[in-house]
Amino acid sequence: MSLATQERKQPNNEEQPNLKGTLISVLILGTLIVVSWFGVYALFMMR
Amino acid sequence: MHLHKYEKIWLVFGIGSLVVFLLVLGFGAFWKGTHPQSHGQLIDPENIEANDAFKPENLGVTKVDDDKYIVNVVASAFNYDLGEDENGDPVKHIRIPKGATVLFQATTPDVIHGLNIAGTNVNMMVEPGYVSKIETEMNQAGEYTLVCNEYCGVGHHLMYATVEVYE
Repeated sequence: MSLATQERKQPNNEEQPNLKGTLISVLILGTLIVVSWFGVYALFMMR
Repeated sequence: MHLHKYEKIWLVFGIGSLVVFLLVLGFGAFWKGTHPQSHGQLIDPENIEANDAFKPENLGVTKVDDDKYIVNVVASAFNYDLGEDENGDPVKHIRIPKGATVLFQATTPDVIHGLNIAGTNVNMMVEPGYVSKIETEMNQAGEYTLVCNEYCGVGHHLMYATVEVYE
């Protein structure tokens, strides 16, 4: 019985890959893009 | 469809940024009237002098009011025509008082040129058949280089002049 439960659990674990690193790198990239927008806008206003 | 919790976060972030970007773009275009500098004002490139602004005597800096100036430029391969001085020499150095509002108007009889005053927001394409305009306030004194930033041919690097903003 315990073996049967384990077998059922395993596919569930594979459906939830660990995307923590992906999330962090996507957010870093997104922040860089947004910061560069404001940078360009500030440059436009100062000139 | 199954989405990972983190995927939802970056999809909301990405689509949200896109929506913000389009709203900013729409606000600039429809409320503020921002548009390309060659905004559909046509001119015959083979007869630019038919337009008063580009008659030889009207080229260069013209003072129209207190602190209001117009600069008319004909860009051609490979020269900015800013008129002639009293000796008949071509003007390559124009002077504008600090804080003045300046309307730059430019056209070209030949190929696409750029008109960029380096270090300012004056930066536009000059296309044959169109009049390009940009109005700006020159708020920082100094000497700026008016330079062609669209490759226009072998003499591209020879196309420049000086704009001096004096106190």
